Amino acid sequence: MLKRLEPEDWTPEAAAHLLNRAGFGGSPLEIAALHSRGLSGAVGSMLDGEEDSDLFPPPAASVPMDVVDLKMKSKDLPEEKRKEMQKMVQREQREQTLELRGWWLNRMRWTPFAAREKATLFWHGHWATSAEKVKEPFLLWQQNETLRAHALGSARTLARDITRDPAMMRYLDLQQSKREKPNENFARELMELFTLGEGHYSEQDIRESARAFTGYRIDPISRQWRLQPRQHDGGVKTFFGKTGNLSGDDVLALIFDSPQCARFLAQKLWVFYAGSEPSPELVEALAAEYRAVDFDTARFLKTIFSSGEFYAADVVRRQVKSPVQWLIGLSKMLETPLPSPIVCEAILRQLGQIPFAPPNVKGWDGGRAWISSSTLLLRYNIAGYLVGGKNAGMGLPGGGLGTARVDVEKVAPVRATADKVCDEVAWRLFQSPLPPAVRGKFTAYLLEHGTGTTARRDLLNLMMSTPEFQLT
Amino acid sequence: MNKTLHTRRKFLRTSLLGGAVAWTVPAFLERTFFSLDAMAADSAIQTVTGKDGTILVVLQLAGGNDGLNTLIPFSDDTYHRMRPMIGIKPEQALKINDYLALHPSLTHLRGLYDEGRMGIVQGVGYPNPNRSHFRSTEIWQTAVDENKTSATGWLGRYFDSCCQGADPAVGVNIGSQTPQAFSAAEPTGISFARPEQFRFNSAQASDPKAAEEFFRSMNELPAGESNDGGSIGMLNGVADTGGDTLDFLRRTALDAQMSSDKVLEITRKSVAPVTYPGGNLANSLNLVARLIGGGMPTRVYYVSQGGYDTHGNQAGAHERLLGELDGAIGAFTADLKAQGNFDRVVLMTFSEFGRRVAENASGGTDHGAAAPLFVVGGGVKAGLYGKAPSLTDLHDGDLIHNVDFRSVYATVLENWLKAPSREILNGTFPTLGLI
Repeated sequence: MLKRLEPEDWTPEAAAHLLNRAGFGGSPLEIAALHSRGLSGAVGSMLDGEEDSDLFPPPAASVPMDVVDLKMKSKDLPEEKRKEMQKMVQREQREQTLELRGWWLNRMRWTPFAAREKATLFWHGHWATSAEKVKEPFLLWQQNETLRAHALGSARTLARDITRDPAMMRYLDLQQSKREKPNENFARELMELFTLGEGHYSEQDIRESARAFTGYRIDPISRQWRLQPRQHDGGVKTFFGKTGNLSGDDVLALIFDSPQCARFLAQKLWVFYAGSEPSPELVEALAAEYRAVDFDTARFLKTIFSSGEFYAADVVRRQVKSPVQWLIGLSKMLETPLPSPIVCEAILRQLGQIPFAPPNVKGWDGGRAWISSSTLLLRYNIAGYLVGGKNAGMGLPGGGLGTARVDVEKVAPVRATADKVCDEVAWRLFQSPLPPAVRGKFTAYLLEHGTGTTARRDLLNLMMSTPEFQLT
Repeated sequence: MNKTLHTRRKFLRTSLLGGAVAWTVPAFLERTFFSLDAMAADSAIQTVTGKDGTILVVLQLAGGNDGLNTLIPFSDDTYHRMRPMIGIKPEQALKINDYLALHPSLTHLRGLYDEGRMGIVQGVGYPNPNRSHFRSTEIWQTAVDENKTSATGWLGRYFDSCCQGADPAVGVNIGSQTPQAFSAAEPTGISFARPEQFRFNSAQASDPKAAEEFFRSMNELPAGESNDGGSIGMLNGVADTGGDTLDFLRRTALDAQMSSDKVLEITRKSVAPVTYPGGNLANSLNLVARLIGGGMPTRVYYVSQGGYDTHGNQAGAHERLLGELDGAIGAFTADLKAQGNFDRVVLMTFSEFGRRVAENASGGTDHGAAAPLFVVGGGVKAGLYGKAPSLTDLHDGDLIHNVDFRSVYATVLENWLKAPSREILNGTFPTLGLI
């Protein structure tokens, strides 16, 4: 059992922590509003959110390109024309993927239901699938919608839908799995990376479950899953002690019934949201909670977000921000829009996390792996760019952003003393008081350079160019 | 002995100055480690001083280089029959024996071969070859079996097991993205495309000078205190020693500041003694040569050249790519010779796969399997290693490998970097007589 957070521990810092972790953070006003709801009210408002889908009209990728039609049309064309057409399709795909990325990032930035986008990002890293191989933007968008639909719903249903998801099927070559030659790759990843973890299944389990997932195909027209009965192995299989004519869905249900699956997923969710490695006892407690709600992720997260463990000293402000969290959070703190999709993509490429392009089927390693001496310097410099707006030497596309984006008078207003300016900006950027030595240095900077607009703009830049700013 | 040293280094790194202020020790303390060199001589823990020690340069040919048009079996009829459009004519190829020749663009490599400074390993690959670029690249980078995945790369595991506590610049990648080969349990190695980007960009500030000064004051060890913990606790923000993650970030920040200063200093003052051709790869190797000459404490450099995915109209494109490769390596080796560092450096190429034996209908080649790679350097024993794969005994239309790529890794690890390859490669792979 997790301990419930004591009411007196529901402080503005705790509210900021909840907003950072359940979502992507927010401005001081948003933190204050969340705090005023009390713990239950705040957790409820984050996880029972709603959003108007009209806010985010679907991107071009939501309509499948008629690949079949294109193939038909190009069949009788001369070689050269056909190649031209291919190039055109590839260009279109690249542009749509770029737009799709921008669409999702902006949804994270502006949605009133941030917890759902955050959970969608978690599941994207979990059921990792990359555009590098999938190529078709429609399939990526479709998977993203599936992840979103169940991000805070049932992890069982999500798993079932993802085993039938064309992007995933293509990514792990499941759509080529035949009765005579089952693809064990998918079955292996399903258990090793998605549900159980290494060492919790046998090679026999892999072989038998691979047979159950044979015949999964992508319909060439609708781009949806369908079962190809001739390629499906309908024979008797034995999996996790059960024998019968097991289907892919049956195998998945058996996996979710095993206690290890709850442990595995609960542990991974804890690491994503809390940022620390849970003790074995905590894993057991978390797994019991997740099973008790039968993998209802929103209810499970409510328990986590209401627990004392989640607000412990080794959790709060001890997680390295992912590049996406860093970028979205920064833009929320500074109350600016995101740069254009192509600039966002270039930034996230430099920092090592491109949505729709995780490095491999394991997703992003996260944590300290985000940070190297070069990505740390890049974070400093890109933060400077997002405040200072000059594109000199940044290696980013487009011209500068200009200085008008950040309303310095609003986010770093003039106050009676340099101390007061520093404290207010520090609360906005770190949501916790600065260590005295660091605070002293920033105050000294303002005393030396005055509290004019440019000095306060530089203060924002310098405060974000710190190790502390990389944590949430 | 190894064990003690290892422990000692860990101790130095984490608690030289006492537990409470451990984070203020930068991840490397050059002077201290320098004095331990003698002890490290026969140890698995490797310290580099920058002036001696062997250096490995890994050159990735991204996209899948066509091995058969790189090292050409020119007297094999099958070769010409399978490649009527793109086959290289025997009279154009640079022959190295009665059966094999180099692509006509590879004149400098041919010179290095004749000089006895280049080994060619033939038929390199792995069982059950994967034809996906990204998956096969991942296999090469992580050096695991084709049905396994790994969170760490082969060079990352080398850093982890042999370079603990070393300068973070022990691995340097020229490019914006850290190669997966560098992934390590303890992230090590630095990446930058251009040295001028690998520094704090104070130009964003309205008062760059003040910003630069302030940034330095936040990220520098007070003078003279790197070996004395007395007042080191005054450095930025000691009050908060609450968490390992923050310690880690602060150490990384110190590392970044120090290696960036070093890189800038070296690249600013050094000028290449030879003229490099144009192109990204030549620029990268030029930079590597300057860093080597300047005494960077780096053991592994990583550079790459893209564009080898030649599905159509291959002939011209491939000629240009190999020409770029050849010119860049030619200038690089001449540069190292002029510096007197040629004997300290080994360069190896690799590509995620070769291409199919038969050309396709578009005058190109599709994804294949086994291919040759080059190993160049003063310490290399020239010659052909492995066997030329048969053009008729194929697997799914692809050449069958006879040298596992991990044997090449084992060779450079064991015989060049003097590192135990078993632990790093998770298995024993026979070394080749290359080095």
